[in-house]
Amino acid sequence: MVTADHVFQALRSVQDPDLRRDIVSLNFVKEMRIDGGRVAFAIELTTPACPVKELMQEEARKAVASLPGVSAVEIRMTSQVRRTTPQAPGGLLPPTIKNVVPVASGKGGVGKSTVSANLALALAKRGARVGLMDADVYGPSIPTMLGITEPPQVDEHNRITPVEQDGVKVVSMGFFMRPDEAVVWRGPMLHKTVQQFLGGVLWGELDYLLVDLPPGTGDVQLSLCQSIPITGAVIVSTPQDVALNVAQKAITMFKKLNAPVLGIVENMSYYVCPHCHTRDDIFGSGGARKIAERLELPFLGEIPLVRQVREASDAGRPVVLTDPESPAAKAFMDVAERIAAQVSIRGMQAEAPVKVTF
Amino acid sequence: MPGIVMPSEIGRANEHDIKITWQDGRESVYPARELRLKCPCAGCVDEFTGAVRVISSSVPDDVRPAAINLIGRYAISILWSDGHATGIYSFEYLRTLDSQHRTAGQ
Repeated sequence: MVTADHVFQALRSVQDPDLRRDIVSLNFVKEMRIDGGRVAFAIELTTPACPVKELMQEEARKAVASLPGVSAVEIRMTSQVRRTTPQAPGGLLPPTIKNVVPVASGKGGVGKSTVSANLALALAKRGARVGLMDADVYGPSIPTMLGITEPPQVDEHNRITPVEQDGVKVVSMGFFMRPDEAVVWRGPMLHKTVQQFLGGVLWGELDYLLVDLPPGTGDVQLSLCQSIPITGAVIVSTPQDVALNVAQKAITMFKKLNAPVLGIVENMSYYVCPHCHTRDDIFGSGGARKIAERLELPFLGEIPLVRQVREASDAGRPVVLTDPESPAAKAFMDVAERIAAQVSIRGMQAEAPVKVTF
Repeated sequence: MPGIVMPSEIGRANEHDIKITWQDGRESVYPARELRLKCPCAGCVDEFTGAVRVISSSVPDDVRPAAINLIGRYAISILWSDGHATGIYSFEYLRTLDSQHRTAGQ
């Protein structure tokens, strides 16, 4: 006779490799139903973009199937993304947003927007509720990359309804200016825009809000980190020393603002010749991984330099959508899953909120 | 994140003064006027030379905080009863001020 106790005991052998605990003590096992020899339950992970979802499901199945008396095992995989942003009373961040992940670089031209757009789509494809805030007010490129031509709706209270494209809710400065216009602003205007994009947008329920930051360590970065407690930043760099040096400055800035860094992504990592398939490390190789190791930050992955990535972005249909089986798209999916895993790890480390009693 | 000690609670020590309880258990009391005069904003401290520009006699004797807001994960801003509100007091800065206060008091 199989009992729930037996099943739970068996499932204690299944570990979440990112959170480094077994799925029973993590309280992931839900909806246990036992009917004779038939066992059914759900495993609720902390992200739909779990990199080891299938592996854990298989391990759980094996563990339970090996129990005497079990004839069938049915496992439903679900997810509930945890909140990492402590809710400050009266804070600017809508309570419906669970995690805010800025994508930053330091140096410009390293492909930050391309990476942001593909990561947002990758997370959405995995079933997460995703928002993408294009905070690059000087050079907003997200609308072009995602092929958005319709402007968002703004209601009488000046609240913006984000444009939804392929499962990603998008807000961009590009929506509010003509392509031939330029934003020529000083800091206070940038600050107001960042605040408007956070608090004045009807984001709805979001598991992850990605923020495509402009390059550098200036007003927009500062405003974002002052306005809300971010979950953690993702740093994008090419393998070049010149880019990595500036990336380190961005990391230093986040440290100074006590904002966590989730890890480093190496973009334009290498080039594979489409004719002879030889790999060429145009900008050098492994630089970002070394920096990540030195700074004791997670290395989130390498994105190859491929014509197709650029063409797809320019055409408004990023590679994650148009050619999901390509090496570049797979690289983006891997990076997105590693980011989701890092967010989950942060979500498990219960962070005591600062209590203000005034 | 290692390196900086975070507060667990920020409140009043009395009608005027601010009290911070830190996550490592330390308790710090910041006399209101002293903290107002230590405002780190660009109007109160010259950004290039570090010279203090706030004039002590222009700050009322009974100045007190009217409101405190959290700034991201690293600081607070204080709205003072004299209307001044531009200072961002980082937790690191507040911790240093407290250490200086303790050393001076010994």
